[in-house]
Amino acid sequence: MLEVKQLSVSFGAVRALDSVSLVVPRGEVTAVIGANGAGKSTLMRTLAGLVKPVSGTAELDGVVVTGRSPEDIVRSGMALVPEGRSTIPELTVEENLHLGGLWRPSAERKATSAEIYEMFPVLAERRRMRSDTLSGGERQQLAIGRALMCDPTCLLLDEPSLGLAPLIVTQILQLVSQLAREKNLAVLLVEQNAVTALRVATTGIIMNLGNVVRVGTAEEIAADDELRDAYLGS
Amino acid sequence: MTTFIDYLLGGFSSGAVIALFALALVLVWRSTRIVNFAQVGQAMFTTFIALAVQVATGSWILALLAGLVAGAILGLIVYALVLRPVQRLDTSGSIIATFGVLISLQALASMIWGGDPKSFAPPVANNGLEIGGRIWPISWYDVLVYAVTAVLVVALTLLFTRTSLGLSMRASAFNPEVAKLSGIRVNRMLAFGWALAGVVGAVAGVLIAPTASLSPNSFDILLIFAFTAAVVGGLDSLIGAVAFGVGTGLVLALVTGYGEAGDAPIVVLILLAITLVVRPGGAFGRGKSRAV
Repeated sequence: MLEVKQLSVSFGAVRALDSVSLVVPRGEVTAVIGANGAGKSTLMRTLAGLVKPVSGTAELDGVVVTGRSPEDIVRSGMALVPEGRSTIPELTVEENLHLGGLWRPSAERKATSAEIYEMFPVLAERRRMRSDTLSGGERQQLAIGRALMCDPTCLLLDEPSLGLAPLIVTQILQLVSQLAREKNLAVLLVEQNAVTALRVATTGIIMNLGNVVRVGTAEEIAADDELRDAYLGS
Repeated sequence: MTTFIDYLLGGFSSGAVIALFALALVLVWRSTRIVNFAQVGQAMFTTFIALAVQVATGSWILALLAGLVAGAILGLIVYALVLRPVQRLDTSGSIIATFGVLISLQALASMIWGGDPKSFAPPVANNGLEIGGRIWPISWYDVLVYAVTAVLVVALTLLFTRTSLGLSMRASAFNPEVAKLSGIRVNRMLAFGWALAGVVGAVAGVLIAPTASLSPNSFDILLIFAFTAAVVGGLDSLIGAVAFGVGTGLVLALVTGYGEAGDAPIVVLILLAITLVVRPGGAFGRGKSRAV
């Protein structure tokens, strides 16, 4: 379980996150939605250790991870799939995948990669090809696969639907919720695409201007037209 | 015809050493995306250290080992003390910083060892071999240089393509953020890249010193040749650096042989200019094929 307590981040005079608290239980997807500039990506980058918070903590299964380096946070079981195309085009599919677990003993790493290839057969077919030969959806699968290579207990997904066709988005998000259930992962999903995200999530969190403005079940939030008009602009 | 062959053989020997310097430049480029103009200065400095060890112990092997260790340590020092603080600014700042390191190392070497050229005794005979009643411009020492170059290229290629360490280094160079998010200790990888380049540069310095003399500025011209070879080879490619390093040696030998020795650097620079215009990515550059 991931527990964020009063996390605040400032960029100069701008407060990007203002005392954000939230809980991400294992075995389900928690969706954070909100318009551009709501602080969603900052939240994810801070949790992953790329941005240092001014105050507040994040605890992963009771252990404080804020203040650690990104490398150590991954090693303690929380992996971020960053926004955009986060695969390395110059490397092969297999190299990109293995990257996520290079620090683990090679036997464990091979077992995990075999599991991931089973989950994403397309990656297994193309393992020797350069990753920039993959389609957008396949690359997103590869990025998720790389994050799974570290055998995480918590998975952070930043806008996985960005730039993908609606059908592919649905497939990927369904796969994410299946992963959460089957591997008992705490999944924190950040999306601008609110409707699709809330369909696979158990809990929905709405952020606006660096604040959490509403927490509820995904059904509740999806059904609330006022909320949608006020914060999601769709 | 035999003159032509003589020139080629001579070109191979200087080309092998240029290739090693080009390799060192490529290693630094691959790890930190910086062209390290201090590389020849570091090599010069470590070669002086190797020479001191050789004079003290009389052993070439000990001298080489001392050079390797000194090369790695100096690479780490330059990375940690100069590049890491400067890198936060921008790329051109880093490149200018490497020039600063080059000049400082040369000044320091002059203060410690003086500006007079010193000779470095080779471990095996550096006389032309006599085969079939004729003396050829290739010696047992040249053979040693080829062998060391070949072994280093193969070892480095295997390191980069077959090991986890090599993959970590490549990932750290291509995309440091993704590498960090994958649990790779990126700063350690970058430092390792600089140390490794320092070792390769030290090998190049110790190998070339017996064929020329050693002074604080004696490797300067090699920087131009090695830089050309590395850029023409695509900066990212180990094979490219070696191929064009040897190629540069051959061009130098032929121009020197058939023309004036003073024309050789100009010809090399013209080749560099043409490459930058025609193929800015280099012959083995990224985009065309996967960098080895």
